[in-house]
Amino acid sequence: MTEISKLTELRKLMQSMERTLGLEELSPVERDIYYAAEELSKRNDEVRTFGLIEHTLVQSVSRPTFFRALKSLVQKGYMSQSGSANRGRYIVHGPK
Amino acid sequence: MQRWVFETLLASSAYVIASVLTFEILMPLQNIFFPEYPSHASLLFLPHGVRVLSAWLLGWRSIIALLPGVFLVFAMVGGWDVFLPSRLFAMAIAVATAPIVFYSCKWLGWDLFPNPHQRPCWLCVMGVGIVTSFLVSGLTNLTFGSAAAEYIAFLIGDISGLFFLMLGLYFGFWFFDKRSGLISREE
Repeated sequence: MTEISKLTELRKLMQSMERTLGLEELSPVERDIYYAAEELSKRNDEVRTFGLIEHTLVQSVSRPTFFRALKSLVQKGYMSQSGSANRGRYIVHGPK
Repeated sequence: MQRWVFETLLASSAYVIASVLTFEILMPLQNIFFPEYPSHASLLFLPHGVRVLSAWLLGWRSIIALLPGVFLVFAMVGGWDVFLPSRLFAMAIAVATAPIVFYSCKWLGWDLFPNPHQRPCWLCVMGVGIVTSFLVSGLTNLTFGSAAAEYIAFLIGDISGLFFLMLGLYFGFWFFDKRSGLISREE
């Protein structure tokens, strides 16, 4: 595991604490998509919707819920659409 | 090799900083607010949190990564007594117990180590921290022959230390996100 991914794991642990303590800002689906996107973004700078929807954390989520949560993540600033020509590509923000 | 050096530097520094905070700030405050408390042990022992989180993140490597920090803290507290067999044994207990508990859980089919395809369970990590605290407190008290009050104080200090360290990290990440603009964008 790289140093960045250790930081990510630590951050994920704190986020699970956040949920129990009622301090959360993201819904469970949004959080799972964000975890999955963080994991996928380690391999490539951009995350494709196609890859994201097939991630084990997201597989059980219906498509409408997935896209609603993805839109919400973009609105909240956790992810943003890639500037490249292809749609369906996202950049994950943080941890930096 | 470079990664091991980096991990060792990070984990040991975290252990030393947590110890300095505990001994130089929290314990004097404890003595002001609870002057009648009979034990000299800290009721908020942050280094236990560093031990548990290092073991969770690094596995066996946390033993090596924490050893310089633990040695430095024992030397700061006990001076040349750091080379006494009882102190060396206490150091071994301090660095090895948490990874042993995590790997025991794994061998029993309860793998709590970070996994990119699973959500981490902070309450499970707290549980390991509590079991580790029982073992560390018990073994350390056996080594030093301390009183029962010390044992209870070690337990309280370890458990609260782990919880508040995690809470501190949570707010640290939150503050970092806020400064880097991640939170303000959604408001």
